[in-house]
Amino acid sequence: MSGGVISLGPVQLILAALLVVMAGAVSVAFRLGIGNRLAVAAVRTVVQLGLLGLVLERVFALDSPALVVVLVVIMTLFAAREAVARTGREYRGIRIDSWLVMAGTCLVVGGVVTQAVIGVRPWYDPQYVIPLFGMILGNSLNGISLSLDRFLDHLSSRRAEVELHLAFGASRREALAAPLQSAVRTGMIPIINAMAAAGIVSLPGMMTGQILAGSPPLQAVAYQIVVMFMIAAATAIGAMAAAIAAARRLVAPDGALRLDRLRDR
Amino acid sequence: MPNFLEAGPFDASDGEGRVLFRDADLRLSEGRATVLEGPSGGGKSTLLRLVAGLHSGGRGAVRRLRDDVYAGASLPLWRSKVTLMAQDAPMIPGTVGDNLELPFRLRHRGDRVFEPHRAEDLLDAVGLGRMRLDRQVITLSGGERHRLALARGLLWDPPVLLADEPLAGLDHETATACFDLLLDFSHRAGHTALVVLHHMELAVKTDGVIRLDRGRLDVS
Repeated sequence: MSGGVISLGPVQLILAALLVVMAGAVSVAFRLGIGNRLAVAAVRTVVQLGLLGLVLERVFALDSPALVVVLVVIMTLFAAREAVARTGREYRGIRIDSWLVMAGTCLVVGGVVTQAVIGVRPWYDPQYVIPLFGMILGNSLNGISLSLDRFLDHLSSRRAEVELHLAFGASRREALAAPLQSAVRTGMIPIINAMAAAGIVSLPGMMTGQILAGSPPLQAVAYQIVVMFMIAAATAIGAMAAAIAAARRLVAPDGALRLDRLRDR
Repeated sequence: MPNFLEAGPFDASDGEGRVLFRDADLRLSEGRATVLEGPSGGGKSTLLRLVAGLHSGGRGAVRRLRDDVYAGASLPLWRSKVTLMAQDAPMIPGTVGDNLELPFRLRHRGDRVFEPHRAEDLLDAVGLGRMRLDRQVITLSGGERHRLALARGLLWDPPVLLADEPLAGLDHETATACFDLLLDFSHRAGHTALVVLHHMELAVKTDGVIRLDRGRLDVS
């Protein structure tokens, strides 16, 4: 064992699948009713990651900037869809908002990290750009999803409180301060937990991966710090922008609530 | 007498699309307490919300106080002057003091500042004399909340109060005392109030009754 990587083949993956089957057995035993969802999710993991692996091999080989950009755009579209697929409520335009927020977050945070912080050369080098953008998208997906869910819930279940502010002359901004605050806070809880526990409770996934793949630990740590900060920024921007975008649709400029545009699902 | 407040015409329908009223116009004179009555589900609350500007209302709706007309971006200023005390006495989480102070922390407070001794006087007047300002509102009973909401409205002292069942859940004696406070408020120059009443026997004390029934507003 001289820093070499133990390669995984089909047999190893099938053994790993037994672990998911165990999780499924728990669901069946306790009638949690998530067996089907777990199975679908597991199959999606295999298919999606498998395809990704094939695509990445091709993309790395082709070394084309256009291809990298197209891939990032497709990833953004999927992330935007997933971000709003499981919120408790929705409104018309939620997907467009989600995509715009995703695209904006990606451009700003991803641009800064790949071009300024890491200084990727050539600028589109897929080995860096794709995984980094993937992490930004995956995490702002969580941030947007949690923040929106909380914001929409606050607006409808605590409507009277929001309108109480309005009734005494609050501007839209003043009336929405509390819901926005709690939405962004909720969206940021996972990353703040992850940052606080990093290295003590958990070895962050990316760092673990790098170390498994044979990188020197200190380099892996440096990358992990960059990634954590990147995720924190992406989550904060995503969570805030998503809630503000929703506010613009659901609250008229004069402050009147348009909750008729909101529906449960 | 010239109208002190004019609002409308408003259209409204309920959740199922049934028309509540069409072209409803509201006019209030200065120095009067007016009761708004009508069958429940007839749109009284909706009308108050429209007048308060919490719904934008139909096209062409005008909101005028004295000679000033408000619309669009100036609606927050309108609401600070034509203030709705909504049904069920909504509160923000926090203390009694936080709630009494709320209007004075917003942008359209003008030059007014929160005066704790006035707040305590008003709490006294609504029968909450022993209520401490640092008490959490979550611990209040329904009747106490309604009286706190009334004290908050009177403390804010806007030119127009639109009160939606402000006396709900109060016993007759307390309701009468609280209603007298609303009357005193309305009878001062530069003030008026429109009140939806739960205790209709109190309506005899008011200066006018507006009835909203089957989509029609009748002034008597």
